[in-house]
Amino acid sequence: MWQIETGTTAGKIYVTLIVLAFLALFMGLIPVMQVLPPRGRRALIALVTFFAGLVFAAEFFLPVNKEGENLLSPAIEPAQNTLQIIGAMALALGTYGLIRLHLRNIVQQRSQWGYSVVLIVAFLTMGFFSVWNTLAEKGELPKTTVLERGFGLLFDNMLVPLESAMFSLIAFYIFSAAYRAFRIRSIEASILMFTAMVVMIGIVSLGNIISYQWLGLPLEQTAEMEKNPFSLRNIGYNLALPRIAYWILQALNAPVQRAIEFGVGIAGLAMAIRLWLSLERGIT
Amino acid sequence: MENQTIWHRLLMIDRRILYLILFINIIIFLLIPVKVRTVTSPPVRKFYDTIEQLKPGDLVMVSSNWSAGTIGENLPQLEAVIRHLMRKKVRFTVISIEPQARDISYRFVSRFTREGGYEYGKDWAHFGFIPSLVVGIKGMVKDLPATIKQDVRGTPIAQLPVMQGVKTLADYKMVIDITPSGTVPAWIAYRPKNLIVLFCPTSVMAAEAYTFLDSGQVAGMLTGAIGAQEYEQLLQREGLGTTFGNAISFSHALIIFFIILGNVALFMSRRAQGG
Repeated sequence: MWQIETGTTAGKIYVTLIVLAFLALFMGLIPVMQVLPPRGRRALIALVTFFAGLVFAAEFFLPVNKEGENLLSPAIEPAQNTLQIIGAMALALGTYGLIRLHLRNIVQQRSQWGYSVVLIVAFLTMGFFSVWNTLAEKGELPKTTVLERGFGLLFDNMLVPLESAMFSLIAFYIFSAAYRAFRIRSIEASILMFTAMVVMIGIVSLGNIISYQWLGLPLEQTAEMEKNPFSLRNIGYNLALPRIAYWILQALNAPVQRAIEFGVGIAGLAMAIRLWLSLERGIT
Repeated sequence: MENQTIWHRLLMIDRRILYLILFINIIIFLLIPVKVRTVTSPPVRKFYDTIEQLKPGDLVMVSSNWSAGTIGENLPQLEAVIRHLMRKKVRFTVISIEPQARDISYRFVSRFTREGGYEYGKDWAHFGFIPSLVVGIKGMVKDLPATIKQDVRGTPIAQLPVMQGVKTLADYKMVIDITPSGTVPAWIAYRPKNLIVLFCPTSVMAAEAYTFLDSGQVAGMLTGAIGAQEYEQLLQREGLGTTFGNAISFSHALIIFFIILGNVALFMSRRAQGG
């Protein structure tokens, strides 16, 4: 019912009719939205939102057969595909808005309009070579030297270094922020700072050098050490910086992360219900 | 101003000086090869052991979802993983969830496989990118060739020798997720139950994954470039992980030194002021 065989002529006609019907429906909604008073407009949006969300909720809660499916299960995949199409439309809309804004900057010669020229030129050049490269990979266009050099220059020698350089700046900000913010001002701040320092040094190779080469702590736990957990050697084995760092990550961090994830999950559910029922202030 | 002590001046240090010190530190340890022996952490050991259990001809899915921003952490992981898979002579396919990740992974894996003597189509393939990971995984669980349809070169994937006999994701042995994003829960939730999940996050994402390691839903993990460095030592091969790992290691030491210095400066300047 939800998935149409598009290989046959009848299927193609059926799909075309559905697409046209939806287009007509959405085009028809535009004048309706303009005619309706604000209250009616909000009610219409809330109704559409509710029914769109109902498909997913009902599919999850309705009883299933032996194959784990119910009446709505086959509808989920087309519904998710529709979400992707809406996402693609948003991308196209964003691109259109960006180009329009920068073209206007250039035409009206607003302040710093030169940057808009750079953006438009970069956008068109990268777009041209990317499309060409994708088609060449599929064998639909020839793979010429101009393409290889052009795409290599733009992608490998410009986009990749520029983006990684942008991201790497975070390291410098973190260094400066850590120097100024990690101060022993309270007990909590001291615990945080000490824990962070142990993990930072314990997970990198310097933790190994300090623990095993400088302090000479045992690297492996022998059967004898396991039998005598309070022996000096066993205590030393457990006090190695990499082991403490791993213990913090596994025994302290993991349960806290799990608790946070539960909290986020429940909050997400509450938020989803509020959005579904249009209770969020932005919509109602 | 003349009465300012050295401690007070240290507290007020210009951030550009800090940036310069860190920059010099990174450059030195990127250029100078320092032999530092690392001890393998349990998640990396589990990761290695899981791949070691693969047999020649087994099929692995590499989910490479990173773009240039995290190249410093994810590229060493990708390199180490691909080289280990080739050493084990297993077949693999690569998939991404965004266009740039597709281009980057295709270009780098093509280079590694060329060096390793792997043939495209026969030993490995790239599925391009899927816009939604959840929809993609659900589709691949039901019918993989119908979901992916074509590889990056436009060949129907059912015609690729590497995909012969593969109908669904259940025909794979494991998935290796290399990512700076929270994509691993999608693989855990929607994968076939027989599919082992291995995870290569960036360092900042690793803390969240310890819950999955603890529960066994993730069989092993490489944490950023440091994880790749430990992994390379298990593979007995020095690559990007070793170089980047050393720079990160000594940068951590520098940051800790400056944190201690900042606290000493704060303490001494307060003492000088009689506070």
